[in-house]
Amino acid sequence: MEFIFYFGDVFTPINFGLLLLGTIGGLILGATPGLSPTMAVALLIPFTFQLEAAQGLILLGAAYTSTVAGGAVSAILLKIPGAPANIATTLDGHTMAKNGQGAKALQLSFLASAVGGVFGVLLLIFLTPVLAKWALAFGPSHLFWLAILGVTVIGTLDSKSVVKGLLSGCIGLWLATIGFDDIMGAQRFIFHPALGGGINIIAALIGLFAIPQVITMFAKGRVASGAEVIEVQKHSVVDAMKELMRNKRAMGIGTITGSIIGLIPGVGGQIAGLVAYDQSKKFSPDRDKFGTGHPEGVIAAEAANNAMVGPSLVPLLTLSIPGSPTAAVLLGGLLIHGIFPGTDLFDNHPDVAWTFINSMLIGQILMCIFGLYVAGMAAKVARVPQSIMAAIVLGLAVFGSYSVQSSMGDVYVMASLGVMMYFLERFGFSAAPLVLGLILGPIAEANFIQGSMIANATDGLTPYFFGGTLNIFLIAVVILSVLYSGYMELRSRRYTSKEEIIA
Amino acid sequence: MSDLSLPRIQHIAASGVVAAVGIWVTYVSYTQQPSEAFLFPRLIATIFVVLAIWTFIKACLGWTKVGNGITTRQFTNLLPGLVVALIYIFWAAKGLGFYTATSIAFFILLSLYDPAPHAAIKSWVKRAIVTACFMVVMYLLFATLLKVYTPREIFF
Amino acid sequence: MKRLLAGAAMAVMGLTGSAYADGHGDFPDRPIMMVVSYGAGGATDFQARIVTMTAGNEDALGMPIAILNKPGAGGRVGWNWFATQADADGYTLSAYNIPHFIAQSIKGGVEYSSDSFEPIANWGADPAVLVVGADSEFNTLQDVVDFTKANPGKLTTSGAGLFVGHHIAALQMEKAGNMKMAYIPTKGGGAAAMKAVIAGDVMAGINNLSDAFRAAQAGNVKILAVADLERNEFLPDVPTMKEAGLDVDNSSVNFRGIMVPKGTPDAIIEKLAATVPAMFDNKRVTGKMKAGGSPMHVMTRDEVKAMWAAREETLKELLAGL
Repeated sequence: MEFIFYFGDVFTPINFGLLLLGTIGGLILGATPGLSPTMAVALLIPFTFQLEAAQGLILLGAAYTSTVAGGAVSAILLKIPGAPANIATTLDGHTMAKNGQGAKALQLSFLASAVGGVFGVLLLIFLTPVLAKWALAFGPSHLFWLAILGVTVIGTLDSKSVVKGLLSGCIGLWLATIGFDDIMGAQRFIFHPALGGGINIIAALIGLFAIPQVITMFAKGRVASGAEVIEVQKHSVVDAMKELMRNKRAMGIGTITGSIIGLIPGVGGQIAGLVAYDQSKKFSPDRDKFGTGHPEGVIAAEAANNAMVGPSLVPLLTLSIPGSPTAAVLLGGLLIHGIFPGTDLFDNHPDVAWTFINSMLIGQILMCIFGLYVAGMAAKVARVPQSIMAAIVLGLAVFGSYSVQSSMGDVYVMASLGVMMYFLERFGFSAAPLVLGLILGPIAEANFIQGSMIANATDGLTPYFFGGTLNIFLIAVVILSVLYSGYMELRSRRYTSKEEIIA
Repeated sequence: MSDLSLPRIQHIAASGVVAAVGIWVTYVSYTQQPSEAFLFPRLIATIFVVLAIWTFIKACLGWTKVGNGITTRQFTNLLPGLVVALIYIFWAAKGLGFYTATSIAFFILLSLYDPAPHAAIKSWVKRAIVTACFMVVMYLLFATLLKVYTPREIFF
Repeated sequence: MKRLLAGAAMAVMGLTGSAYADGHGDFPDRPIMMVVSYGAGGATDFQARIVTMTAGNEDALGMPIAILNKPGAGGRVGWNWFATQADADGYTLSAYNIPHFIAQSIKGGVEYSSDSFEPIANWGADPAVLVVGADSEFNTLQDVVDFTKANPGKLTTSGAGLFVGHHIAALQMEKAGNMKMAYIPTKGGGAAAMKAVIAGDVMAGINNLSDAFRAAQAGNVKILAVADLERNEFLPDVPTMKEAGLDVDNSSVNFRGIMVPKGTPDAIIEKLAATVPAMFDNKRVTGKMKAGGSPMHVMTRDEVKAMWAAREETLKELLAGL
């Protein structure tokens, strides 16, 4: 119950102002097609350098929460998921909008997001201190497997081709080894002087998420705006709340699936949304109505992708393993201020940690309130001509990646990775596993080396890495996720990419 | 699938590049010293190269199911923008200074991609105004608020 | 609008340009950047931020110092960058860690040596200490030595990397006790090495006194010995290694200070060398350092030069056999 003491800190003028700024800005950024939550948060990082640790995190946390929810606006009104997490929302949300229920779909999605989001953050509040104590049980071998698990799970589940997903993960892991190796100080794969310091993760994230988007906009040529906005009719918020109350089942399934999926490192909101959508379809008596503008579909998907936000920070705050690209960006935000998340975070920096978590709780509610009223406006912003959007994102990417370390090398790395990623994406490789490989690679390597040195001094490699319940459990999950996805791939998979939705 | 379609050739080329990188990474990992430093790269490279060659073989046989490749039309559309972006990033940003280079690149990109007619003077004025507004915002954000000292050659 | 901005920018450039022209008289006239070759949150970063926080005061430099972290490979990434790419104009400083960068330059594979840099002043001296988990069966240095002699190569000992102070201390312990330990370098600096000790992943650890002091106060570890010539004011009850029976001197003590790249104009070096030690002695700085358990040891440029030379000699001898 310690967190209650830090609620006051959320409401200091500066903190609350940043929270409002992050929430409203996040809603607009999220509603803008092509600005994914990770990209929004990565582009925001340089702006937190000047802030105190807690303030920076409040801004990033609020932006993270509300970009995920804001993505629903363009998913529903434009049939362009603002973020991968909103793919499942499009399925019923856009159909509802076409049937003239756009306002209702938006209201339901924000209300469901808030309920799911609050539950997720509460889970974060109550689970983290407990798990933080337990986190010491994770030795080098377990952390190694956990990092591998993160890459494998996203590589297999998030990609249409298991082989290409895993291959993308491998490319990411390899990219992470570029530079000086941390232990021996040997130079590895430094084929250009800009790589001397290795690949900076923030610059890489900006490149991998922003540049392919810019090039995709170029590829469309001289066209005005992506899509037509559907007119929204008025709909009473109270009615939407009543509607939400009638759909407790979809709400519950969405929230719980989202929360559980969020805890697994590597799995993002996209998967949470789709799994929740499928599950509530399975358990619904009206399963035939799914896809034809059924409110349950919107509720389940949006509850899930926001419920995932809180728990997705648990691995970061307890094991200092960022479970998602966004968490990696937040980790960067913490490290800049000299805060190393981990078992002792809540002992050493309770003010920062709790203020941040509390602000996410308040942020969920603010997000809902503003979402309900700003949604229509956000959709207008989403219609910024894509030529301007592309140029703005490009400029921000260059300035943003430079300002991380005041290094031109980072800008080159950002651009090279981004251009490479655009072409890889065109051939079925996905960015998410590559990014996770890049993020988790150093963690996997450090623990692998440290573990093997300890193993050599004690009981040997095999018992150290393959013995013990926790090791075996983690290995089993890795193998299962590969087998399951391979099986699903053989039995034809469904749409999981943004492009297929738009097509 | 007897004739080699455009996406298929592209897939072969793309996965061929990935496979080549995989082979290079594996070669470097197994030959460079000290071997302790390359323990983990070896582990990854082995999996990397196997998966990459598998993908390449699949592409050659035309079994690739995912990824739509790039159509000629998309390519001609993106090429000018990409060239401008690359010149901007790899040369102009440092050579001309960040703010100058960004203004020029921004303006050129707008001219290339915004659909307003090139003949109308009004559309050029609009582009110049948008560029100027963006640069003012960027200057205020980065130079004033964040105090980032970006390379400045001519002007700023 | 554009022209207006360009005009304003030219005015700004004009100002800085004129300052460059006359012989550095008003140095510094813009904020200074200081590279820290370790990640944010480590002891070096933590202390660098404290000792530079008063740089903006009128009696100090009159301009703030911004910290830029370039971590990686035990500091090699940051120092390589600093030696080869940093502008030698006095606006780019770096924190140094002795013995780290000297030991690395002796081992080779890096693009710097102690000749690549010009010291400005030293702010701290952080001795290495031997720690074990709070529930460890070891209670004295002798227990550890006995175990290691009975089980050669079995005592897993974490430290912040290879050829850093911690590793030097481990090498000296092995040499003095004629024994073999299993030194486990961790990534992520002293914090990660300490976590390995607390979690029981390793049997012992060598760590910074400042980090160990905080961990011991939290009841997570026991500090068995200090690798220094005399006991430390923070830990009056902990014996030095020499007192406890291992002939280990102060070669592993981690000296931290500020340096500039070779080629920086003499006038600027002199200005910095004259102001910086006083800045370290600021009351707010010393108070905050003490609260963080970070031992201060202010040395002037000439003293640091002598210390660098002495360290270089000892380390060459110690590392010759490896």
